[in-house]
Amino acid sequence: MRKLLSSHTVEARLFAVLLLMVVGLSLATDTFLTVANLTSLLNNNSVNLIWAVGLLVVLVAGGIDISFAVAASVVQYLTAQILGYVGGGNWVLGFLIAGSIGLGLGLINAALIHGFKIVSIVITIATFNAFFGLLMFFTKGRSIYTLPDWWVDRIFLFEYQSASGVWSELHLSVAVMVACLVATAFFINRTTTGRQLYAFGDNPEGARRAGINIALMQAIAFGWCGLMAGIGGLMQVNIAKEVVPNALYGRELDVLAAVVLGGARLGGGKGTVFGCVLGVLFVAITQNGLNLLGVSPFAFQMIIGATILVAISTSNVKIDLSSWFKPKSGQQSRRVDQ
Amino acid sequence: MNTRKALVSGLALCAALATSASAETEMGIVVKIGGIPWFNAMEQGILERAEELGVSAEMIGPTSADPALQVRAIEDLIARGVDVIGVVPNDEAALEPVLTKARDAGIVVIAHEGPGLDNVDWNFELASAKGFGEAHAELLCANAEKPGSYAVYVGSLTVPLHNAWADAGVAWMGENCPELTLVGERYGVAESVDDSRSTTLDLIAANEDLRGILAFGSQGPIGAGRAIDERRLTGQVHVMGPFSPGQGRQLVQDGVIAGGYMWNPAEAGRVFVTLGNMLVEGAEVAEGTEIEGLGVVSPDAETRNIITDNLLEINADTVDGLAEQGL
Repeated sequence: MRKLLSSHTVEARLFAVLLLMVVGLSLATDTFLTVANLTSLLNNNSVNLIWAVGLLVVLVAGGIDISFAVAASVVQYLTAQILGYVGGGNWVLGFLIAGSIGLGLGLINAALIHGFKIVSIVITIATFNAFFGLLMFFTKGRSIYTLPDWWVDRIFLFEYQSASGVWSELHLSVAVMVACLVATAFFINRTTTGRQLYAFGDNPEGARRAGINIALMQAIAFGWCGLMAGIGGLMQVNIAKEVVPNALYGRELDVLAAVVLGGARLGGGKGTVFGCVLGVLFVAITQNGLNLLGVSPFAFQMIIGATILVAISTSNVKIDLSSWFKPKSGQQSRRVDQ
Repeated sequence: MNTRKALVSGLALCAALATSASAETEMGIVVKIGGIPWFNAMEQGILERAEELGVSAEMIGPTSADPALQVRAIEDLIARGVDVIGVVPNDEAALEPVLTKARDAGIVVIAHEGPGLDNVDWNFELASAKGFGEAHAELLCANAEKPGSYAVYVGSLTVPLHNAWADAGVAWMGENCPELTLVGERYGVAESVDDSRSTTLDLIAANEDLRGILAFGSQGPIGAGRAIDERRLTGQVHVMGPFSPGQGRQLVQDGVIAGGYMWNPAEAGRVFVTLGNMLVEGAEVAEGTEIEGLGVVSPDAETRNIITDNLLEINADTVDGLAEQGL
């Protein structure tokens, strides 16, 4: 148990805080712990979670991707155009098109990073601007409101009407989110390639000497992130029912903050899918709780920022304490350079 | 890039010069940016009205919303010796010097959406902040079941215009519709469909008596409408606010969005030409003057503003026509 805790301190800590928040909000409001509220929390955060696990794979491999949210916008536009061209399509075709365009955009990032040997943050800031610039240039900022019916129709996995007449439901995006979570968890934990990603992220030079193919690692990490960006983009259209070129601009930082909050290390080699879920839910429940408690919206940003700050800094205190139990050489220095 | 732009606009100028007759009144109207539906509609209004009055008018839309490009376009118009320059400013302060130059050259200068400009003959508005906010509040009061509560969204807590609308709307509600109470001050979510949607879901959960949402900011009515549709509360919670008719068409027809107001860019284009022509012909604008498209006006001679309330209602009857114009 202590081993599990010490290897996943951030997750354990965040889980405890989250549990406290849930209990607190359930007591403070009679609206938090209702089927309607919990299902809408899941619906609203499914797209963020899909992106979060994509970004997690890149972070585990020691990289960072700023461009994925804008890439998702590009995917939405191109998918809408291609579907218009083939005359409608269906979900299978939608997933194929969105997934492959997303994958392609991710591979562009990987090729640039590996080919020019430049750190990923610089390349993805550049591609972030390039993707967005090209999108605005070709679309002239125009939104698309007429989309195929199958794409914007709601598909319910579950619906329920409470005694007071309030409807709750789970959308298709939640099922897709769960599938992405399971696939990512299986991929990074149970496959050889997945374990190699951790090794590569933790110590790229060591991994190279151990015979791991560096180019392949970059391609897999950024390709996976691109794939998730594409799928997330597809599902976001199902929720918003429209394609707006700048709708996702800026979402990358929210997702990045949530993933790092969930214990993924910016230096690489560390991070879990469970942590991602906790990080995203932590931010979402904070915002949801503030709305339900009727706190002034002028204070929202301040409170969310402060909560993240407290969560991150206290989790580091815990790490220092646990390292007293099991002093290990090298651990301290690694903490410093992160 | 700049040379190319200069060349292109030079060519356009030559073409325009070659086609226009010499004695005819000439007008050039510089807008914020070209190629977007809003200003395409304005251009249509300008061209139509110019044909009716037998004057020559053209609209110039820079490739990006950049004050420097507007300055250059106005300088070109001065060099060409047009009679009227119209402008929808990107940045009021950046245009003052070049507008002084235009007026010194004897050119009539008219602005729209530039209430702070000093060097203009007149600036006209089709909507006042107060009138716009109050019109939406009236719509809310007329639609919502009472008693109950309502929420207000703005683009961001720091957008001056949206907050002025919200202030006017909330003040009107307090005086005329006290059975509806405001929940939670105001939410700065209305430039994002996702944010206004999830905030609306939260507010519905937190306030059982929520009856309406006053959403200022282009995406607010859409996001709030989607949330209400999702919660199957159409008819119980009403949304009103300005939005793009093409985007909100379906929601209006489904009865989720009760309606909203906008001002008509095509009408603004027509007013540019009408007013320009009047001023060139030597007419004075004073208290009680009637101007087609603006109605009977009461101009403010001090600030050179003509502020009117010519609002265009977006509702189930008008939304299709407006959407067809690409708005």
